[in-house]
Amino acid sequence: MVPEALAAVENDRAEGGPRYGRLLPRLGAFGQYAGTTAWWALDISEARPVIAAIVEGSAPADWVGALFAGVRIADIDENNLHLLGPVGGRGRMIGELFTRFCPPESWRIGADLILAAAAGYPAGAPLTRDITSIAFGNGWSTASTDPAHPDIVFIAVGGVLSDDRSLWAVRASEERYRNLFHHLPCALIQVDSRPMRAIFDDLRRRGISDIAPYLDATPDLPLHSRDIVQVTDANRGALELLGAERVEQLLGPVDFVFAASPDSAKRVITAHFEERRNWVEVMKLRTLDGRLRDVELSVTYPTPPDRLDVTILGFVDITERLRTEAQLRQLEADYSRAARISMLGEMATSIAHEINQPLSAIVTNAETSQRWLSREDPNLAKVGQLTARIAESGRRASNIVQRIRGMAARRAPERVPLDLNEIVEEALLFVRHDIESRSIGLSAKLTRGLPRVLGDRVQLQQVVVNLLVNAVQAQNGGPGRIELDAAVNADGAVVFTIHDGGPGIAEENLDRVFGSFFTTKDDGIGIGLALCQSIIATHQGTITASNHPEGGAVFQFSLPAAR
Amino acid sequence: MSNPPLIAIVDDDDAVREALFDLLQVEGLAARTFGSGEALLADTTAGSFDCVITDVRMAEIDGLELQRRLRAQGSSMPVIFITSSVEDATRAQALSDGAAAWFTKPVTDEELLDALRAALDAPRGK
Repeated sequence: MVPEALAAVENDRAEGGPRYGRLLPRLGAFGQYAGTTAWWALDISEARPVIAAIVEGSAPADWVGALFAGVRIADIDENNLHLLGPVGGRGRMIGELFTRFCPPESWRIGADLILAAAAGYPAGAPLTRDITSIAFGNGWSTASTDPAHPDIVFIAVGGVLSDDRSLWAVRASEERYRNLFHHLPCALIQVDSRPMRAIFDDLRRRGISDIAPYLDATPDLPLHSRDIVQVTDANRGALELLGAERVEQLLGPVDFVFAASPDSAKRVITAHFEERRNWVEVMKLRTLDGRLRDVELSVTYPTPPDRLDVTILGFVDITERLRTEAQLRQLEADYSRAARISMLGEMATSIAHEINQPLSAIVTNAETSQRWLSREDPNLAKVGQLTARIAESGRRASNIVQRIRGMAARRAPERVPLDLNEIVEEALLFVRHDIESRSIGLSAKLTRGLPRVLGDRVQLQQVVVNLLVNAVQAQNGGPGRIELDAAVNADGAVVFTIHDGGPGIAEENLDRVFGSFFTTKDDGIGIGLALCQSIIATHQGTITASNHPEGGAVFQFSLPAAR
Repeated sequence: MSNPPLIAIVDDDDAVREALFDLLQVEGLAARTFGSGEALLADTTAGSFDCVITDVRMAEIDGLELQRRLRAQGSSMPVIFITSSVEDATRAQALSDGAAAWFTKPVTDEELLDALRAALDAPRGK
């Protein structure tokens, strides 16, 4: 039953690192258990002085601890790796202290076996002991040495599996996990967030249930947390993202992850405290080589909570995406500004008319004032009234100029609560003259007290002006009609509808009127409606085109009400 | 002309309308204002005006149409146009329809008052 002594061979695959090479025990009679055993190759060279002291009878009180302070892992087999190893794999166990990975309940038997195998102490001590382990209900553990490696003691563990499937299930699952972890094309780091549990327990004992304000008031706590939560592994993606060459560069405090986004750490801690399963946010990440990246961080807190040693932080680098989006927004802003300026040019007559009205009133009022003043009995009360009107007309002209300037200005689109009725009325300023000069009947049914929408005033004006111009041009001469309507729909969205008296949209064009460069006009280039759609889309709204059953085209856009 | 002249001012812009009214007032000319051509046409006393000063561009019927309808009603009162846009075609049309004067805004008080007095003094059929 007890296997023969194990013999070690050097394996030429140097996976164990340059220090040991691969050590493989010759299994001999042990072979039949090969699949169900786990073994360690332990380097006891540093423990020789303690072993000598024990043999001489001058053992320190904690002789087990003293002995293991000098016992390092020279190699392990796959089963052992799966059962006890870190995610980083064999490379991260080699050279480490045996006690870092071996469960404490096996330390005493392990120490006895090392003494028996390495020093034959005490005389006649057995090289095999019965053990109970997580994998083996009733198992054994045996020690052996190999003359070729005098400082290596092999400890093998075996027996009948307590549950045939459990070891394999664990093994397969661990392997799947490790494969996934290392080969997923995103950046993952594994952290051990167990130290947070004591902190959370303490906070709860002290009656703190809302941790966010506490973290704000106690800035040392998030800093301390960043120090005690340790990175225990990182995959290739993480190395690449963080500009690291070796996993070891990332091991240790998780601090560096939050260096550029300290508030993110607070939110990650808060989510953990609130026992969420995960947390996702966009943050800035400073890489080891000093680059600043925009990343989407997702933290997965494992369940059950005792597996918090494998809390996973995932990172998706969205720097380029954000940059592209910003460029796109800029391009769109430039483009819509160009369209507005061209629109202003086309509407010069209409705009001139709008400004000329108050100017005309100003001139007449001023001249009338002079007439009152040049009389023998100047009517100062009347002059006062006239100058007030002059000021009022001046303000009106100035407002018009300001709106035109708003249309022409280069500025970043904003998101402010807006009254769509005002937008429509302001947009009408640019086209009213055109509408009147063509004898087009305009009716506007603007529901009062509409909920506000979040958006950019100038851009939305541009949409309404574009739709109005479109409607004016659709009339084909002759007195036409344009009906405007602003209302709230059943979903609470604000809906603007414009119905023209033109011939409508040909069926085959209905689904492409919003496409770029679609036009039915001889002199049009077809950007107006495409721009409308793009602007409405960036406002989280929708725009549609249809034909009215009684004739004419209907364009309708809806925008979500501001909350 | 026994009664003092009465002038109709038609403009859909409140500020312009009031300014014209005040200008006539300081010169001792009586006037009434209308926000649209329809309002003037609908007024039962339309026939009692001695002259019309009207804008060209207005929401419903424009100044030219107003002049045509007045003529169609048999009115020969002079019509003075004040417009804020420069459109020669419209101007020519207005003048050929018998407009008394045509001004582009802003009009000077002298010009307008001279034209108004000339129109009021001109012999008319009615």
